[in-house]
Amino acid sequence: MKKYNSNHIFAALLLCACGITSSLHAEDDFLLEENLYGEQLEIGPAISDPLEFINRYTFEFNDFVYLNLVEPLAKGYQAVTPDPVEASATRFFNNLKYPVRLAGNLLQGRLDGAWVETGRFAINSTIGVLGLFTPADKMSGFEPIPKEDIGQAFGSWGLGEGPYLILPLLGPSNLRDLGGMLGDRAVNPLDEPFSAIDDWSWEWPIALAVTEFTAASPSLLERYKRLKGTAIDPYGSLKDGYTQFRRAAIQE
Amino acid sequence: MRKLILLTPLVWLLAVSSLPAASSEADRLKGVINAAIEAVYGDGCAELTLEEKQVKVRATLESEYDLDVIIRRAIGRNWSLMNAQEQEQVLQLVKQLLVKAYVKGMNGTSRPEVQLGETIEITDKRIEIPSEIKMDGKTVNVLYRLGRMKSGWQIYDIVAEDISVVANYRQQLDDHFRKGNGQDLVNKLKELLIKEDIDEEIQL
Repeated sequence: MKKYNSNHIFAALLLCACGITSSLHAEDDFLLEENLYGEQLEIGPAISDPLEFINRYTFEFNDFVYLNLVEPLAKGYQAVTPDPVEASATRFFNNLKYPVRLAGNLLQGRLDGAWVETGRFAINSTIGVLGLFTPADKMSGFEPIPKEDIGQAFGSWGLGEGPYLILPLLGPSNLRDLGGMLGDRAVNPLDEPFSAIDDWSWEWPIALAVTEFTAASPSLLERYKRLKGTAIDPYGSLKDGYTQFRRAAIQE
Repeated sequence: MRKLILLTPLVWLLAVSSLPAASSEADRLKGVINAAIEAVYGDGCAELTLEEKQVKVRATLESEYDLDVIIRRAIGRNWSLMNAQEQEQVLQLVKQLLVKAYVKGMNGTSRPEVQLGETIEITDKRIEIPSEIKMDGKTVNVLYRLGRMKSGWQIYDIVAEDISVVANYRQQLDDHFRKGNGQDLVNKLKELLIKEDIDEEIQL
């Protein structure tokens, strides 16, 4: 009869162990389809939409306006405006929004953010000729940072979103962000009804708002159409896209 | 000493099987992204129709990744609310829609430049690869989420500018199945593909 020494037994056990280990790992090392497909997505609380019926009507109205009025306006604007001028106009209006970004940072206690925004405003308004150019982008310590607003500040304080809203012409929002938007207008010295400039006639704020909207329309419309283009339910897609975007901005 | 030598394969086996996410996954992803861009912007592609470009892009993506994974994750538990025929139709139609949207989105734009960031290991079965896409003077941040499945590493979500594609579709599909069924979804997807064609004709 053949004799087995301890080394033979050890080798046999080792091979068994290897076999068991590899088969165990074969199961453990992979995501199972049923788990991956069935798991809840980490997207936060469900979006409250008690006004869906009204929102959907407003969505349809906005959609009509965007595609039939804003799109021709955006295309016309792009056709008559050279690309560098278009980019400068966008930068100019972005620069004017400095008070909103400053308030958004301060209300969240982000002093470093407030400092960067103030520095950027000072540099871009002077060297950058009233914000038409953004030389601060290339200055160390004053590179662009994520934009903050008062709605984000409310969110960072723990204020809930409230019901989802579609605002006429303005698009997706929620009760908290609507409050934030009013706050944004209040801190912006150029925005009505809180404008700090008393002696300008009513045509100026309207002209400013229309110009700002026109300058922003090509990129807004592009984003809107991209989101809507592949959507099974454009309303649902916009609702989810807006909410995900805002939640991420608040988390950051 | 002999036991030590005999232990070597076990240690090796354990080490290999618990390897962190292979860094080569970023290279693989980069290769696929570049190939998909090449399928639209490469030499001779300017003469191709949008449909021909779509075929090329889809073949490129499917040569490396199983697109069913990301679509199945987007569908989630609604999958069981459809019969086998509807499930297959939905998979095919969504793939068509996504590839079409990609090719259409690239149409008339400058060739994008894609820069991949460092791979982030979430667990030994999940990694994330951030990327920065520069196109027409704009920068878009896109995060690819990959899972280690039996068929290899597969993309199970794409997050563009903080919006998860999977979560966005899941929301729409959850809403859909609260009122509709699988056949309605198939019809809706078909309508959407036809509508997209009409839109293209109008633009032309």
